[in-house]
Amino acid sequence: MSLVRIENVAKRFGRLTVLDDVSLKVAPGEIIAVIGRSGSGKSTLLRCINGLEPIQSGRIWFEDMVVNAPNTDLRRLRQQVGIVFQSYNLFPHLSVERNITLAPTVVKKMNAAAARALAVDVLRRVGLEDKIAAYPDQLSGGQQQRVAIARSLAMAPKLMLFDEITSALDPELIGEVLRVLEQMARSGMTMMLVTHEMGFARNVASRVIFMHQGKIWEDGPTKDILNQPKTPELVSFLGSVLH
Amino acid sequence: MIRDLTWLDFAYLVYAARWTVALTALAFVGGGLLGLLIALLRLAPFAPARWLALGYIQMIQGTPLLAQLFVFYFGFPIFGYQVTPWIAATAAFSIYASAFLAEIWRGCMQAIARTQWEASAALGLSFLEQLHHIIMPQAIRIAIPPTVGFLVQLVKNTSLAAVIGFIELTREAQITTAATFRPFTVYGIAALLYFCICFPLSELSQRLERRLRVAR
Repeated sequence: MSLVRIENVAKRFGRLTVLDDVSLKVAPGEIIAVIGRSGSGKSTLLRCINGLEPIQSGRIWFEDMVVNAPNTDLRRLRQQVGIVFQSYNLFPHLSVERNITLAPTVVKKMNAAAARALAVDVLRRVGLEDKIAAYPDQLSGGQQQRVAIARSLAMAPKLMLFDEITSALDPELIGEVLRVLEQMARSGMTMMLVTHEMGFARNVASRVIFMHQGKIWEDGPTKDILNQPKTPELVSFLGSVLH
Repeated sequence: MIRDLTWLDFAYLVYAARWTVALTALAFVGGGLLGLLIALLRLAPFAPARWLALGYIQMIQGTPLLAQLFVFYFGFPIFGYQVTPWIAATAAFSIYASAFLAEIWRGCMQAIARTQWEASAALGLSFLEQLHHIIMPQAIRIAIPPTVGFLVQLVKNTSLAAVIGFIELTREAQITTAATFRPFTVYGIAALLYFCICFPLSELSQRLERRLRVAR
């Protein structure tokens, strides 16, 4: 059974069509890199999956939940679909520990001791257990992004969405974040990543989706898509990003 | 009969200043509770609630405080409700304060980046949980200076309650002036007493701001 099923989804901002008749299935364990030029609808596609963006037509399912129905329990959905943003979006007034334990204690009603143990555990997975008492503004961009990943992991989601999470980072900080992603990929997490890191996509993704003008232009196993592009649009895109 | 200005008059002015402080405190608490509710309605994910709150704010901000005092004090008895100056003044000032505090606080909450709402929504927090854990704690810090600024305005505006016979600092000064005919001295003392109330408030605001900055 698919984890995510997207059927004929259209998304418009006023008269601008951002997603145009998009259909897609994601199986458990897949690691999907979503590539394409800016404005092609990659980020919007990701944000629709956890209900951050309303859609104008079509349907999105996560397991047996319809994401875009008016009575959807978004709270339940979002416990199972985590998202990490380009700009980290940590809570600046809370310590690293509290950033991580807030949702487990408030949303999942976990007790404080268990939440603290969880924070230590997820921070270890991103290599930042020594920063548990720090505040976000005391961390580098790469560290903040790893805390943001840990914060999502703490909810134990079945699917993780990554929206250009290395795009705001200095080049020397990108590696540490990508290593965390690689390790998550090995652990069997289902992941969808909007990324410009082609090398990373090639090494880690099991499948690549190329988006162009709001449509899924090409979709297939990583090797096929990156080595034998079928459409001139993908050829030209790969030419521009691989130099 | 004109008599001398004595220390007793000064004592009466200080005594009357207590009612200025008391009225301000009541209006601030009442207006604060009501204002918080209105501010939340202004942000509610439900359009009619937002319209209702906006209508309320525009009505209160668009009419003179003096007229609001008159409505409560002289208006209600027409419908058979006798109100004392205390009740009329407390009600009018609370409602007046609620409209301004609601707008100040709404602005402070909206100044928190949209991405903070988004990140907390993505973690499964409900609207009220987002407010409680993410938005309010950050908004309070930036709300302190404009809130205290308004509180200082409120202290001074309570002098308007004199017109409905509420005896506070300004009304007492009027009475003392009428008896002693020393307007410059008496109103000078009254002004100084207002300053003595407002200055510590501004100081407190700056101290709070510093403390919250350290504590994030």
